[in-house]
Amino acid sequence: MGQSIDDKEITRELWQSRLPICFILSDEDMSKVNRSELPEPLYLMLARHSYFPCIIEKIHRYYSTYFKENVNETTNNINLANLWLEFESIPLKWHYPIGVLYDLYASSVSSTSHLPWQITVHLSKFPEGEILRFPDKESIEAHYMSTIKEADALKHKGQIIGDMQKRDHKQLWNSLLQDKYDGFWNINNKLMNYTDSLQYFRYIPFRVYIVDKPFIQKLFSPYDIDQDKFMTLNDLLDFVLHHEAQCELLANEKKILNTNVDDYQVIIHGIQPPINTPIQWLSEHFSYPDNFLHICLIEKRT
Amino acid sequence: MSTVEGDENESLGNASNSAVTNEETSSNTTRSGPLNDSEGGAKVVFLLKAAGGAPILKKKKWALPRSKTMGHIVEFLKKYMQLDSQQQQQLFLYVNQSFAPALDTTIGSVNDCFSSEGTLVLHYSLTQAWG
Repeated sequence: MGQSIDDKEITRELWQSRLPICFILSDEDMSKVNRSELPEPLYLMLARHSYFPCIIEKIHRYYSTYFKENVNETTNNINLANLWLEFESIPLKWHYPIGVLYDLYASSVSSTSHLPWQITVHLSKFPEGEILRFPDKESIEAHYMSTIKEADALKHKGQIIGDMQKRDHKQLWNSLLQDKYDGFWNINNKLMNYTDSLQYFRYIPFRVYIVDKPFIQKLFSPYDIDQDKFMTLNDLLDFVLHHEAQCELLANEKKILNTNVDDYQVIIHGIQPPINTPIQWLSEHFSYPDNFLHICLIEKRT
Repeated sequence: MSTVEGDENESLGNASNSAVTNEETSSNTTRSGPLNDSEGGAKVVFLLKAAGGAPILKKKKWALPRSKTMGHIVEFLKKYMQLDSQQQQQLFLYVNQSFAPALDTTIGSVNDCFSSEGTLVLHYSLTQAWG
């Protein structure tokens, strides 16, 4: 895909996109506050491509001042290690990028998005079995590195990430944490190269999210050799939905996925890209820092 | 919790047949459909291999419904190898000998992207083996 300077600006725009979020303590935990003052809502402006565990310390610190001494006692069921976030009764997965969670859940609940995004903070009754624990920055860093390796396994059989130095890996993550676009792209550019004398990635790293289902991931080549043409976002979604529906049929699932692409709103980074955009171009410009295209499908109401 | 089927040779037999068929019929694996086998198609057949000095399992070949997660396999292996009693907390599950998918990733999606010639290979380790 031809690279132009203008296209590069798009990656900068996406890097800078933020979500205003309002954190409010759950009523149940609020009733256990043992200071005279109750916590006010906490407002943060967060990068869409970041992860909630990156700011968990900040939330910890904020609420710990409202619970005297016994924050880490188990007796009153208030424990900061059990902190979790909820939106409209949905526990938010710690390891999904913040922007993906917003696009998936906030766009489907209401047709007009309400900002700031209002999230409920819980300090007790961690929903084990529903979400995984990512208690600190280190655990989410390990997840991020694993995901970027997976992406490179799809794009280049893992050759590029495998040839990188440990310090390059570190630079990717640290640039993300410290919000350094140039530091990140200095390394990430290498991951956007082509190998094996191809002019495209072997397969596109992508995940398709639909509410109430695990994400869908398939093998999809951005270029159709037989027809000598680059595949589009529509081609990818059409393939993914039909393939997944076929899997569901074979597994005798009761509810089979709607396979009509037109019945969905397609959202990446809060944007609805034209459905005929070449998927290779999207992969190079619209991927999250983990090198995956995270595509949210919101079924339109009829 | 339903576990990995250990002793159903019949079901596994079917599944491996279908894997072979799949290999023959789809030379272009890029956009082939799911397994066209009414019985084996709903399940993912995978090999579990030890890495980093982890105990070796007698049984290598397993099958699970697509909707089960990597977490299911980890929990199953911990019980199967009785790791809890040895105070061994961690078990890592790797794909391609390079990365460990999040534990809520379904075996179906891992299989669709990383199986080779109809079989998915997963490596398990008690310590971090890669990455």
